[in-house]
Amino acid sequence: MSNAQAAFKRLVLGRPMSSGELEHTLLPKIIALPIFSSDALSSVAYATQEILLVLGLVGISALAHVAPIALAVGSLLSIVVISYRQTVRAYPSGGGAYIVAHENLGVFPGLLAASSLLIDYVLTVSVSVVAGVDAIVSASPGLHRFDVEIALLFVAFVAIANLRGVRESGTFFAIPTYGFILSMYVLIGTGFVRCLGGCPVAESAHLPLKPEVSALSLFILLKAFAAGTTALTGVEAISNGVPAFRYPQSKNAATTLAVLGTISISMFLGISWLSHLMHVRYLDEAKYLALTGHAERSVIAQIAFGVFHGGPIFYFIQIMTAGILILAANTAFADFPRLASILARDRFMPRQFMNRGDRLVFSNGIIILATLASLLIAVFQANLNHLIQLYLVGVFISFTLSQSGMVVHWKRTRERGWQRSAIINGFGAVMTAVVLTVVVITKFAGGAWIVVCAIPVLITLMRSINKHYDSVRNELAHPERRPLDRRPGNQHVIIVVPDVDAAVSRAIGYARSVRAADVVAIAADPAYSAPWHRLAPEIPLTVAPGGHPDITQVREFIHQKRAELSENDFLTVMVPEILESQHLIEVFRHPRTYRLKSGLIRDRGIQVLDIPLLRRQIDPKVDQAHEPARNYAFVLVSGVHNATLQALEYAETLRPVDLRAVSFGLDPEATQRLGDDWLRDRIPHPLEIEDSPFRDIGLSLVQYLRQFRPDGLDRVVTVVLPEFVVTKRRHQILHNQTALLVKRRLLFEPGIVTVSVPYHLSQS
Amino acid sequence: MSVSNVIEKLGRSPEDIRAENLRGWVASIDHVTTLATVIPRKRTRVAGVIQNIRIDPRNGRDAIEATIIDGTDKMVAKWLGRSSLSGIQLGMGLIMEGVPGAGPDGTLVMLNPEYVLVPGPEHG
Repeated sequence: MSNAQAAFKRLVLGRPMSSGELEHTLLPKIIALPIFSSDALSSVAYATQEILLVLGLVGISALAHVAPIALAVGSLLSIVVISYRQTVRAYPSGGGAYIVAHENLGVFPGLLAASSLLIDYVLTVSVSVVAGVDAIVSASPGLHRFDVEIALLFVAFVAIANLRGVRESGTFFAIPTYGFILSMYVLIGTGFVRCLGGCPVAESAHLPLKPEVSALSLFILLKAFAAGTTALTGVEAISNGVPAFRYPQSKNAATTLAVLGTISISMFLGISWLSHLMHVRYLDEAKYLALTGHAERSVIAQIAFGVFHGGPIFYFIQIMTAGILILAANTAFADFPRLASILARDRFMPRQFMNRGDRLVFSNGIIILATLASLLIAVFQANLNHLIQLYLVGVFISFTLSQSGMVVHWKRTRERGWQRSAIINGFGAVMTAVVLTVVVITKFAGGAWIVVCAIPVLITLMRSINKHYDSVRNELAHPERRPLDRRPGNQHVIIVVPDVDAAVSRAIGYARSVRAADVVAIAADPAYSAPWHRLAPEIPLTVAPGGHPDITQVREFIHQKRAELSENDFLTVMVPEILESQHLIEVFRHPRTYRLKSGLIRDRGIQVLDIPLLRRQIDPKVDQAHEPARNYAFVLVSGVHNATLQALEYAETLRPVDLRAVSFGLDPEATQRLGDDWLRDRIPHPLEIEDSPFRDIGLSLVQYLRQFRPDGLDRVVTVVLPEFVVTKRRHQILHNQTALLVKRRLLFEPGIVTVSVPYHLSQS
Repeated sequence: MSVSNVIEKLGRSPEDIRAENLRGWVASIDHVTTLATVIPRKRTRVAGVIQNIRIDPRNGRDAIEATIIDGTDKMVAKWLGRSSLSGIQLGMGLIMEGVPGAGPDGTLVMLNPEYVLVPGPEHG
């Protein structure tokens, strides 16, 4: 990365933090409450409104039912909070629905919970942000036209805050959360006081409601109740986040959860009761627009406007509501990547999700979440009522599974007082299961079907990823593999000649130093014959038939050569490349070379050695074909398995002065295992495990290699990368991400060549 | 966080900040010499964080080396004839006592030192 790039990254995302600084991001309760409760509290901003929307379909008379429905939702909320307080105590290391369901109920329920949660997190971001934009539009109706754009901007904003890391965001997030709590209580308090002398009337109180449903049926009541249960979303956030709390973690988390429940229920009931007293009516956005000609205000905005007659307090409430909603998305930004990393550890998701970025956050998960949420917002045109139809299915599946899992947990552990705990969780599970059924039935046609269909797709995907990783692991560990003959005489070299230039000269020098059994060259243009013979008379040059540089011809030549060799032989294809500039765009400047390399990697028994050379590093006074006296070979390893062993055997044929295996420690447990396996199997080469304190393998590797002062002429460093080749191309994305990153990073490092040693998996 | 503080923090490299943290940690341990001030062939007690572990099973005897850093310099601890890492981990704190000598590339090496592993300043 260039200096300017690094400075920009630091300004936006903050300085890289060393792994140890992870510890210091533990949160006190006062900061943890706003971080983990913004999701749960913010749903107060739209829960009442959703109930009114459904009841309004029946007519004005039905609106009176908002109070009993709100009470029912409030009771359900308290049941779930009490139930989750037990989870927090039983799982101090974080008891998300996935962990609880996976441990207690089995793999399938675990995956069901996991896929529900992943979908739920994406929706939390979209719904919260869109509702936040609604709050802004309520205060400033002119912005209505830009709601999609504003929403997307806010998603990007929260994503960046999270790429910076949670604590700094935490202090920042405290303001809108506490501001929202304060403003809701001021609103409810003032509203009730004013009601003593005759309630203020909401602006929509005289709106004609055309009944669309003939009578108030049980179905409508259930539908209104289901709509109101949005108030429950986000309650589980604390149970995921116990490890982020200060010690004693479980106790602090349980206390915070109780506080959250109390605040949430009181605010929700207060707002619902006020909406009833003030005769607030709420219509579908489009219908309201057709009826009145201007954009509809949210229910909270209507109440606040009525109570305070507009004025500064009204605007303060709107800003705080928007603030907490937009930052509620933050809960999902903490939980989605964390769950993805747990799933990756359990090999249900690609390994890349396990990597923390240099700010100690799971960068990949954050980026994926932001992308998916933005997509939903764009597709649904930032329409809250439509988006909310998708919500809740995932929420209640995970509630139900998590609490059922807890019942099994208590039965299994039989701690003191386990029966009482089991009954509490069991009751919660039954209640949420009933609500789940209601939600699915009442919301299916409105959009819940999308989620109902997406969950099995996700489960299937995760299972197939898991199956793939398992079969690869079994195959790699298989001791059947015959070692290859590693004498230099078994090394054969083909130099691909795109042009007779300095890079090709370096390849010649390198090939000479290896003392391979034979070296040949292939060019596409007959014009290269004469200069080639002056440069390397001892290496025969074949000109591919066809005249024009055609990859298939070159590949065919290589295949023919490979067919002549025995299985014990290595065939190295050297690809010299001149790079004009130090930009990544260089990778795409030679699409033919790129295609040749990526094609060759899938062909059996071929190793591809890259010799890149920056144009400005070429010294015309020096003989570029000089044979390097010292070749240091480093095999990048991740574990003791067949691919590593083959790469070591290969590296030996390069006749290096020093050969070592190198690994960069990101996960202390994994490196410990690597070291012990190395000693146990008595691998006849030294292994070095180097710390990567800022978890940037590229940077650590470059710093490590520079110790050997490679210049490309006299001193060369060869980085040997064992790579997996899988039979199904779509599985390829699950592997070699590190190798890819390393190759890209080393491309511009002088004197360093990289070689891919593919290991073909059969996955029988 | 004051503005000058922010500017100062932006101006320093992450490596510098880490080195300073390490120096602070070593200063909190009793009776140790910082690596930069170690005198070869004189018995000393030093402390540092494990930055690199080298395992060499060649020549029939297992050699394990751990390179520690303390924000001033580095030193290698070398054990012969060990067949497992038993707790030696990257990022762990290593406090050791022995007679350091110069290794092949000039780095100081302590052969079979007496040692204790402690939680590093960074890995809890």
